[in-house]
Amino acid sequence: MDSAPRLRIDPASTVPVVRQITDSLRVLFVEGRLAAGTALPSVRRVAMELGVHFNTVAEAYRILAAEGWLEVKQGRGAVLVARTAPALASEAWREDFRSRLRALLAQMRAQGVPAARLAAELRGVAKEVTRT
Amino acid sequence: MRLVLCAVSVFIGGLLYAVPNMTRREILFAVPLPPDFRDRSEGREAISAFRTTIAVVVLACVGLLLFLPARLLGAIAAAMPLAIVLAAGISFYQQYRKLAPAAVQFKRLREAELTAQPERLPWFAWLAAGPFVILGAAAWYLHLSWSRIPARFPVHWGANGQPNRWAERTTRGVYGPLFFAAELCTWLLVMALAGWFGSRRSPWRSVVLGLLVTVQYLMGVVFALISVQALLGLPVWVIALLPIAVLIPVITITINKMSQPSGPPDPTPNECWKGAIFYYNPNDAVLFVEKRAGFGYTFNFANPWCWVLLGGLALVIASAPFIVA
Repeated sequence: MDSAPRLRIDPASTVPVVRQITDSLRVLFVEGRLAAGTALPSVRRVAMELGVHFNTVAEAYRILAAEGWLEVKQGRGAVLVARTAPALASEAWREDFRSRLRALLAQMRAQGVPAARLAAELRGVAKEVTRT
Repeated sequence: MRLVLCAVSVFIGGLLYAVPNMTRREILFAVPLPPDFRDRSEGREAISAFRTTIAVVVLACVGLLLFLPARLLGAIAAAMPLAIVLAAGISFYQQYRKLAPAAVQFKRLREAELTAQPERLPWFAWLAAGPFVILGAAAWYLHLSWSRIPARFPVHWGANGQPNRWAERTTRGVYGPLFFAAELCTWLLVMALAGWFGSRRSPWRSVVLGLLVTVQYLMGVVFALISVQALLGLPVWVIALLPIAVLIPVITITINKMSQPSGPPDPTPNECWKGAIFYYNPNDAVLFVEKRAGFGYTFNFANPWCWVLLGGLALVIASAPFIVA
């Protein structure tokens, strides 16, 4: 039997915890590892397991609800909803995305990751994206 | 009675002697360290210094208990366990300070299982009802034997084994200790449930729950025996030694479990541990965290619910003079 997907964070990371949670959950949603109708654990339980404040998890759930991924009901937890893809993002948004991707790649290069390795990683990610 | 007091001192000393073994291998004197640190000379020296202190104090206490005049025994008997615990506490803190510079931070990665399955208590949680049944049975037996209860009967005994407090055959005098025990058991039950639902998922949760249920039984049985002692004429040493008889196997099992490989340690930030034993982290939603000194859980003192639980215990203790005659 498959075990439930796990949400991972690194409190020592420079990335804010709320962003780590939203990013990790969004990846699970996009990859289809959590299906529409799946109930997420309560804010209290996730906060306790991750060792963070309730508000941090609640904020992450709110962000994902605003993006249309979750339906959050007071006292009844959050449920993943079937989400229709929004209209194609604007050119400004895509430019912002490209800029962030370039910054990430530059960071990786600065860390000593060879260009060929980066290209291979990107191809792998692209393959996963087109599969889902 | 001198021998019983000596046995109690040696028992307390033995418990404290085992403290370095009652934590994970990665933790020594509340300091997170590499797992092989205990086998290094610094680790061995720290354990040896701690244990030597306890051994010296216990031997001194036993000597005093054996050779002091009987008239001083009562006064000194209560001070002996306190002296042993105090000496162990001071020595523990000294070792903590000595090892603190070598502390490492446990890997901080954390994960949560994304399942909304409700958390189920282990089957043995239902055994927590047992102590209430025992107390109820004792009350029923006293009710049925009311006419046989002496007009005045002992409810407390001194270190010399002689009664030093008595109660009268009134509702408060007869049922008071049972009611107080029921209060204590209720508080322990609330603690057990709070420990289960207010801590991170870990194999230790069920062990701690089991320990608290055991302590509940101990309280229930001891107070039930005290209440019916006047009717059954039980020897006092049976009641005095019962906790030791229960705690020895419990501690042995605990040490055995602690030495088994287990899940990773709770990666609480080092900077949130104050004075080796107090955890204060307002950014951690949890109510209980795994202890760094000894076995089990301790409060996250930044969580307001911990003050509610401690206030509950204070109320239980404060109610004793009004309940017990």
